Amino acid sequence: MANFILRKAKPNDVPDILRLIKELAKFEEMEEKVLLTEKDLLEDGFGDHPFYHCLVAEVPKEQSSEGNTVIAFAMYYFTYDPWIGKLLYLEDFFVMQEFRGLGIGSQILKVLSETAVKTRCSGMHFIVAENNTKSIEFYKRRGAADLSSEEGWRLYEIEKEDLLKMTSK
Amino acid sequence: MDFSIRAANVEDCKDIARMILELAEYEKIVDHVKITQKDLEQDGFSKNPFFHGIVAEVPEQHRTKDGHTKIGYALYFYSYRSWSGRAIYMEDLYVMPEFRGKGIGKALMSKVAQLGLAAGCGQLNFTVLDWNKSSLDFYLNQGCTDVTTDMGYHYMSCKGEALEHLAQP
Repeated sequence: MANFILRKAKPNDVPDILRLIKELAKFEEMEEKVLLTEKDLLEDGFGDHPFYHCLVAEVPKEQSSEGNTVIAFAMYYFTYDPWIGKLLYLEDFFVMQEFRGLGIGSQILKVLSETAVKTRCSGMHFIVAENNTKSIEFYKRRGAADLSSEEGWRLYEIEKEDLLKMTSK
Repeated sequence: MDFSIRAANVEDCKDIARMILELAEYEKIVDHVKITQKDLEQDGFSKNPFFHGIVAEVPEQHRTKDGHTKIGYALYFYSYRSWSGRAIYMEDLYVMPEFRGKGIGKALMSKVAQLGLAAGCGQLNFTVLDWNKSSLDFYLNQGCTDVTTDMGYHYMSCKGEALEHLAQP
């Protein structure tokens, strides 16, 4: 059974956060899409106006085969729904493979929901890829609703190139 | 038609609340709206706002039969993508029916794009209901991609009782 602690990320966790972002992207088969650097993460998460918050899970050094002590993370921020108010948006959530099935993910989700309830958020939102059936089951077991399937909401994006085109019209 | 776009201020909350309800009616989910004018004032115009707004206004001579000159709005906030960093999320975009087809929606969205680019964002995201054909056509025309269809990303929500339950020890 893993002995672990959950805590708020600190600036010196940034290299581990980036490592875990890349591991999650690899798991989603999108590793080449990660463009963020440690410098971006430092400025955007630990400056005057943070764009995100991060929780990390740490294990004692002797429990990790590769010497990493930060073995899981969750990146989140606050958003707003004009119908129901504040929301906690879970952007990334990842536990390293060798540390899964030990309750670390559940504990992270619990702390995030406590944060959401404490800050008077009406809900927690996030995205899951439809082929990630294991994760979908994990979330549905905990009462999550699939708004894309149930209500027909589709997520759209416009990338920088098209944003620039829009502003020059 | 002559119109102007400007940043919303606290006095606009009454009109924004009115238009939020109009948009919810259009989306056929009025009973989901729990937010009041007071919530908007507190959540959007205090020291740490959860959202920002822009309003489209027409001159007095074009006011609606009910006397409204504020005839469109967009609500947005800054978010973060773990692969590409800063992003801007457009939560609501609405123009009153009688003022559509005059470039106001496009101007509102262009303004959100400008604000996003100025803040160093690489992406603009939003959700659209799958039956909302006229909006889908408008967005595809602006160069957007449907991430739900293309990548299978489903938008999930954990709220109310499910969120409270998740936060239990």
